[in-house]
Amino acid sequence: MIEYYQFKHNGGRDEYKDAIFLSIVPSMTFAVLYGSGMEDGAGEALNVLSKVFAGDEVQLEFDKLDKLVFDRMPKDAQYMLLRIKNESVECSKYGGVSAKIVMGGEMRLLPNGYFGLNAGDRIVCGTDNFIGNLSDEAIIADALVAENSSEWMNYMVRRISDINELTCGNLTALTLKVKA
Amino acid sequence: MIDFTLLTDRMSELIGTAGVLFVIAVLSFFYIAVLILINVIKYKKKIDAKGDDFLLPEISYFLETGKREKQEDAFYISPMTDYVDNGLIACVSDGMGGLPDGEVVSKFTTHSLKESYPYSFEDPESTVEVIKDISDKVYEKYKLGSGATLVLVHIKDNHMHFFSLGDSNIILIRDGKATLLNQKQNYVSAIIQKMAEGNMTTRDAYTDNRARGLINFLGNYDCKVLYSKSPMRIYEDDIIIVSSDGVTDTIPLEKLYKYVNPQTSARTSAERLKYAVRNKKNKRQDNYTGIVIKMERSFI
Repeated sequence: MIEYYQFKHNGGRDEYKDAIFLSIVPSMTFAVLYGSGMEDGAGEALNVLSKVFAGDEVQLEFDKLDKLVFDRMPKDAQYMLLRIKNESVECSKYGGVSAKIVMGGEMRLLPNGYFGLNAGDRIVCGTDNFIGNLSDEAIIADALVAENSSEWMNYMVRRISDINELTCGNLTALTLKVKA
Repeated sequence: MIDFTLLTDRMSELIGTAGVLFVIAVLSFFYIAVLILINVIKYKKKIDAKGDDFLLPEISYFLETGKREKQEDAFYISPMTDYVDNGLIACVSDGMGGLPDGEVVSKFTTHSLKESYPYSFEDPESTVEVIKDISDKVYEKYKLGSGATLVLVHIKDNHMHFFSLGDSNIILIRDGKATLLNQKQNYVSAIIQKMAEGNMTTRDAYTDNRARGLINFLGNYDCKVLYSKSPMRIYEDDIIIVSSDGVTDTIPLEKLYKYVNPQTSARTSAERLKYAVRNKKNKRQDNYTGIVIKMERSFI
């Protein structure tokens, strides 16, 4: 079972250009768009992901979904696709969005492709504007202390706030916890 | 040839006694050396059984009064002789300023933690129960009229659990960066959460000094202990500082590496940090206490 929490914040800007998409059928699939990190094409990228996640195409096998989205996305689009299925995660990143996994008291950058999961593993997926404000040690410490995904997110947001009072531009992230 | 018959009886007696004492001293020396050797071999066997990458903590500490009249900080470090079997417990408690008996509560806390040693590393909830029990006793006596903060680390087999109540510090220095591991339990956190949920920037959360008031502390009713549900991996040359806020209020986190780094021993780091705080000559310097733990490979 997967528990998740998403955080979207203007970060002191008038406009929120990032986005998070979620589909739970047939398995949990997420997309995180780093629109605020793109020079142009953010609107087009948003449309592509909106259509894919609103229709049946999101149910495609991950490789096919990845290719389909990539073909439709504007050049230099920055986003990540993530699918949790059974006891594994598949991910595919383009540009300034990354995911980190906390397992066994350590943290790793989630690689593109397939990665096995165990109960208790935690994943944070966010734009560079979010993740870049946090040290690996801070992410691990907060993940280990937090009782759930929302608490973990709140701890990380507090750290970013301590640095820049959430004025650094759009902040977008997703926390996931694998439960037994 | 020496003619011993020329010595007086008294002199012969003295030489005899000296000879006996010399033999006893030599035998004692060998006895102690054998005992040490046996213990070292036993210890080495235990360490070898842990594997090649087994790390040992080197520990040093300071406890200073600052400009306060009383010492309201207290600390406890478990015996290193037990490290291989039970790990290391290091904790600092800081009596809450402005409230009476802060020094009594902090000492009661560390003394009670000492009494409950050893702790199960595999079951951090049991350590939380001990802390909550101490907190409940403080609450029963003072009914929120006094309290203390607490930070505690439990290090064993290259992993660390950490526990926190209030706004003292557990800091990890790794790769030249100092990171505060425990979040401060004050109103600022609650305000930031609300503002962030409302899509607001958070400058206002820091402007009111009253927001630094603690939401949780030892002696609070039904306190909530922040603790690691599973342990954090630690590596060679990691440095952990367990300290009261008197240290970080004077030396900010980003400046710590200047004084505490893996190139020097824990003792030197602790000395440098202590003098760094002292040399700031802060007129309102709070009590400041720090335990510096440097993880290193065993030389045995």
